[in-house]
Amino acid sequence: MAIRKTAEPEENVEVLRASAPAPQLVSTPDTVPKRPYLNTPKKMLASGMSEAEAIERAKDGDGGCFEALYGMHKRRVYSLCLRMTGNTAEAEDLTQEAFLQLYRKIATFRGESAFSTWLHRLAVNVVLMHLRKKGLPEVSLQETLEPAEEDGPKKDIGSQDQVLAGSIDRVNLERAIESLPPGYRIIFVLHDIEGYEHNEIAEMMGCSIGNSKSQLHKARMKLRDLLKVTRVEKAASKR
Amino acid sequence: MNCAEFQRDLPLIIDTGGTESQEEHLRTCDVCRGLVGDLRYIAEQAKLLIPMLEPSPEVWNGIEEKLRREGLVKPVQARRP
Repeated sequence: MAIRKTAEPEENVEVLRASAPAPQLVSTPDTVPKRPYLNTPKKMLASGMSEAEAIERAKDGDGGCFEALYGMHKRRVYSLCLRMTGNTAEAEDLTQEAFLQLYRKIATFRGESAFSTWLHRLAVNVVLMHLRKKGLPEVSLQETLEPAEEDGPKKDIGSQDQVLAGSIDRVNLERAIESLPPGYRIIFVLHDIEGYEHNEIAEMMGCSIGNSKSQLHKARMKLRDLLKVTRVEKAASKR
Repeated sequence: MNCAEFQRDLPLIIDTGGTESQEEHLRTCDVCRGLVGDLRYIAEQAKLLIPMLEPSPEVWNGIEEKLRREGLVKPVQARRP
């Protein structure tokens, strides 16, 4: 049996904003889409087949169409796995597991949500299940994932440094996220990168909404510290 | 309102918006204004991180092998001569 190659992966374009707007005490505005790379009106495969058609054929056991779906979504699933685990080998294993589960469950996909949303949630569950097996608690995220005091973000009272706006590049941000303590990293990835709401995260993680909010804030504070250190080191290396 | 009070409520402020006194503190305090700006900047940059990374070809090979072993995909029909 051969599984035909029917699609090439989507091309993604690196985008980073050069500057940030002035801070406001309001909820994050909707001007930046939560998951901008999902705003594709109708997904088409390289073969000219629509994603919906490929899903229906994959439900009938068409391996070629399943491979096409893999080609279309592999980067997003792998990036999620890698950002959540911080480990390439684990991320590849989890990507494989997520797509195997997808194939086993694809007949249950009814199109009530976008396919990418459905697949993504499935992948998140695969990663969380894996992390739980490694010791991530289902309920008390706070107690067991709380980093030691020395790992936590520093208070900023009374100190003033240069602001970060305009100084972050993608590579440094990815590195800083990778070096976050696991509890912070998971919540940050799910909320700030993947766009899940706190109630969704609380449900997935088995923690309270307040806990999710608190972890997210600590994660952002910790990232700020890490990015400032990176900037100082970068400046020192130029001297 | 002082910086300690402002920063204690920061998660809530960023999530739901600030009160009048918190807004006033933000207008007059460079430290807290810088902090709020940084946290918003980080959150905005994170939203723009798109999936750039690609798994190695071994991932698909492993999936294909397991699907074949489990008999989950139909064999490709041989073409008629």
